[in-house]
Amino acid sequence: MIINNAPAVELKKATKRYNEIVAVNNVDLTIEKGEIFGLLGPNGSGKSTTLKMLLGLVQPEEGSVMVLGIDARKDQVAIKRQVGYAPESPHLYEFLTGIEFLDFIGDIYGMQTDEKCGRINEYLKALQLEGREGDIISSYSEGMKQKISLIAAFLHKPKVLILDEPLNALDPRSARLVKDFLQELKLQGVTTIMSTHILEIAQALCDRIGIMYQGKLLACGNMEELRKMASMPNSGLEDIFLKLTGTGDIRAVVEELVK
Amino acid sequence: MNWKTIRHLVNVDVKSSRLLRGQRLAKYNVARNRFFNYLTYVVAIAIGLAVGILVGMFYSSELHTIGFQSSFNGAFANLQISLPTLILVVTLVFTMMQQFQRSGTNFSRQVPYWLPITWQEHTLASILADVLGIPLLSIACIAPAIVTVSLFTGQVPLALGASLAMCASAFMAATTTEAFRVLQVRFTGAVYKSTGKAAIWVRFTSTLLFFIVFYIVYSYVIYGTGIVSFIQTVASLQTAAWFIPFVWVGLTLAFFASDSAILGLAFLGLSLLFIAGLFYLCVGLNSRFGLYEPPAITVSRGIYAPKTGFLGKFGFSSVESAMIRKDLKAFTRRRELITTFILPIVVTIIPIVSSFNTTQSSSSSFPPQFGFAFTSLFPAGIMAIMLGNFMTGEEGQSIWRVYFSPISAKNYVKSKYTFMLFFALMVLPVTSAVGYVVYHPSARTLFTLVVESIFVAFAAGALSLANGIKGADFNEFPRPRMIRAEWSIINLATCAAAVLAVLAPLLPYFIASVTGSPIMYLDLYQAIIISGVIAFILTVIFYLVAVGNAKDLLFKAQI
Repeated sequence: MIINNAPAVELKKATKRYNEIVAVNNVDLTIEKGEIFGLLGPNGSGKSTTLKMLLGLVQPEEGSVMVLGIDARKDQVAIKRQVGYAPESPHLYEFLTGIEFLDFIGDIYGMQTDEKCGRINEYLKALQLEGREGDIISSYSEGMKQKISLIAAFLHKPKVLILDEPLNALDPRSARLVKDFLQELKLQGVTTIMSTHILEIAQALCDRIGIMYQGKLLACGNMEELRKMASMPNSGLEDIFLKLTGTGDIRAVVEELVK
Repeated sequence: MNWKTIRHLVNVDVKSSRLLRGQRLAKYNVARNRFFNYLTYVVAIAIGLAVGILVGMFYSSELHTIGFQSSFNGAFANLQISLPTLILVVTLVFTMMQQFQRSGTNFSRQVPYWLPITWQEHTLASILADVLGIPLLSIACIAPAIVTVSLFTGQVPLALGASLAMCASAFMAATTTEAFRVLQVRFTGAVYKSTGKAAIWVRFTSTLLFFIVFYIVYSYVIYGTGIVSFIQTVASLQTAAWFIPFVWVGLTLAFFASDSAILGLAFLGLSLLFIAGLFYLCVGLNSRFGLYEPPAITVSRGIYAPKTGFLGKFGFSSVESAMIRKDLKAFTRRRELITTFILPIVVTIIPIVSSFNTTQSSSSSFPPQFGFAFTSLFPAGIMAIMLGNFMTGEEGQSIWRVYFSPISAKNYVKSKYTFMLFFALMVLPVTSAVGYVVYHPSARTLFTLVVESIFVAFAAGALSLANGIKGADFNEFPRPRMIRAEWSIINLATCAAAVLAVLAPLLPYFIASVTGSPIMYLDLYQAIIISGVIAFILTVIFYLVAVGNAKDLLFKAQI
């Protein structure tokens, strides 16, 4: 059951291990409703595991994960009904056509036929998939598959959106459209949690940013707060990120490669 | 041609074949396993040598028998002459089967277009990779055997010629398969493009038809004529079919063996020309049609108007209906799943072909109740067991969609179980009707076996689904595995036990029909009721186990 005054997402001392490796280490994080939150970090830093924890797909060994006041350990299906998720790899049923897949998704979320039909047609038109919606997905380009994956996440008007690299492979128009759409959803109280490696997008789009490294949440806040934490006034997110994650020593590597 | 490149490409193809056979390469060490790869051939050669020595010793011991030497030498020469054609047939069948196996793969073994590899190199590597395995193993076994025997019979030149000719035949067959593969890809692509919306059904029916025809021919050869008479037919046809280039290698041997050197040389030249021509034809086809692009099959056009499903009227939620509709599309569109529908047809065909042969060739009669059991109980039961086993693994990597969608374990199992039962029970009237026409069972037999088939489908299907969830393999590369090997075996064993438990009350009737001395301890209809109760209890238990397994699967959400 959704608790109205609960934050959109609340992780308390969440820890997840895979054998010896601590994928997520003692993470505390609260994301309020209507916020756009960016989760950044180098490869293998624990971002995807954290996002999967929010969906109840990965169970924390310690601590708790609450989404809209629902315990992710207790009622995964209730959380999934309220969340729209676009994974890094689209994982579509490639033997279906685009429209059949979206129809399937609409039915999975129990949407009414008229509402489902209307929204599917609107999204297809907006993301310029008209004319190809009846083709088998296996013949789609990566960008088209990503668009279908995003529509599937948006279709049932979720309260929380979890997007893993949402702008991957999108053409500039569609990327802009998605960014503007997320801002509009924010005004409607929809919470977006996104993971991305494109730091310019995170800086431009997100209200707050969390930087993960080796399973820990190193820093969390808006741009000003992050600059203070890194003691780098007037710096961009890229410099802050490289300093905080200790991966800024790339000059020497480049020089070695040039040799 | 760069032979180093060819060697690397052959290695790539061989490894991809290993993956297709279910061997994992994550821990595969080429250097460490090279010895074992060669060991297989060494063992084949050793077996060949051992067989050759044994036959040679037998030959030497029987030399004093009048007429033995000439008749053995004649038969042995005939065998050697027909070996190239036999190897050709074996290699063709084997490599074609390999291609069918590859049809469900999700990766292309096309030459990486951006690398400096010529089509000649790619084609040759592909052919050589096809020859490795069963064809080369057969040659590695047969060639030492015939050479060893020929040392005793004094036919060494013919044996050496036959060994070389077998290699040439295997190469010819693999080249033909390669050409067939390229043409098939080109042809199917063109058909899909031109048929538009109907492409799905064209693919479905053509795949089914192809396999049915293949199995009918196979059953006829194996169960109808018998493999020995098949080999005899091949050997005798070789000379008559001189105009077919594929038998020229065998004919070359035949002419040399009969001291017709000029004809032998002529056919040798023709054979070499044909092999070269076939190879360059294959290279040409590859360079023309080898760059494969998956065709965009258009299923629907225009404004989207979803169909209102009828499943809701039968008590299915929108989640369950959506899953059932999705699976229906998967089984009619994914080639590796289409072949599932072939099995009940094959199971029906084999006893029918076999019974025709029995009727023609011997006086032993095939009891109609057994024949009918094959066409009713088996197809429905096997369909349920097979579908239940695959229904979870067929999701592949897209199982993530199930993981992060609001689908409960109960929704999941209900939709999968319904789908499986629907097809198992849909097969039953069709195959039973065929069985009825062929075997004319009594009304009692008909009723009993149809009802028992339904019981078996319910109980074994639920068990198979539970096993399928537990042992699901979601790996899709290079081809969907669907079920882990150990769980496939566990499933077969446990389902066999469950089927026996369901049929147990009817076993006295089975024994009675075999021995002719009835052991009637209870009425047939009482036995059917007891069988139904057992099936019901097992169904409930296994269904609950399936739900438990599904909960576990969805909770862990790991691949």
